[in-house]
Amino acid sequence: MRYRETGDVHLDFHRTANGTISYLRANYGRDFLDETFRRTARDVYAAIREDLKRGNTEHLVEHWTYFFDREGGRYALERNGEEIRFVVERCPAVDYLQSRGIPIDEDFCRQTVVVNDALAEGTPFEISTEVLGGGKCVQTIRRRAEQ
Amino acid sequence: MIPSDHFVRYYNEVFKALEQRGIEHLKRYFDYLGELQKLELAERFRAGGLRACHDYWSRILKEENCVGRLTLTEYYFEFRMDRCPSLSKVLDNDASASAFYCDHCIGWVRPVMDAAGLYAVLCKDSPDEPRCVMRVYADPEKAREFERQPRAPKR
Repeated sequence: MRYRETGDVHLDFHRTANGTISYLRANYGRDFLDETFRRTARDVYAAIREDLKRGNTEHLVEHWTYFFDREGGRYALERNGEEIRFVVERCPAVDYLQSRGIPIDEDFCRQTVVVNDALAEGTPFEISTEVLGGGKCVQTIRRRAEQ
Repeated sequence: MIPSDHFVRYYNEVFKALEQRGIEHLKRYFDYLGELQKLELAERFRAGGLRACHDYWSRILKEENCVGRLTLTEYYFEFRMDRCPSLSKVLDNDASASAFYCDHCIGWVRPVMDAAGLYAVLCKDSPDEPRCVMRVYADPEKAREFERQPRAPKR
């Protein structure tokens, strides 16, 4: 895995992310906000994308589970052939904001939706993100249907 | 979820996207971060002074895995950062670093200190080296005196 941080975790960065999302949408619009997530997927997570292009989904799965474990998230990982479902029952970012009584921006989960979309661009996979609310979502990796 | 471990790499992408619109956009964002941090810290620092700054950065030193030293004297609080985890991550990154990356730090600290009635000075040698020294003074004259020392940037 390209990035594998260890040691303590500074969860308060989720507060800054929440504020940043509000600020960018209010001042520059949702397209600009999404572009910051796409840049992150394309450039910061280039190694995950490269592996997806080669047909390898395990880098992304390890990324999801490693960082959810570090932050105390709760999830289930379901595999059915090539389809992989990351079922989030307790998102640590949402949980942190709720625990601090911080209003969660309406676009907070776009960081997940747009990063997943952008990671899948140009790869044999699609990654769908179904946001269920209350810190729950389902992220599914599946091979694209043959054209 | 962008993990909190990766927030600074996301942040760096935000900086670059804003830079492309003009440096004034990046400055306005730093001002906004200052406003966001004021809500958390200004009153705490106003009430607790240099001791409260020391307590806050003691927690940050641990939580953010910094390598550095904190000093509290009668006149100032000093954070001598020997390995900044934030810039270190941005440099250990498949994306390029914003040329203005380090500016975000004094960019949010200064408005918080202004609101708390304290005076922050940051000394930084190079944007490619994850090292710096920040001092916070209660007395503005002592802050200016430190700032006038060689290698101290303008406040």
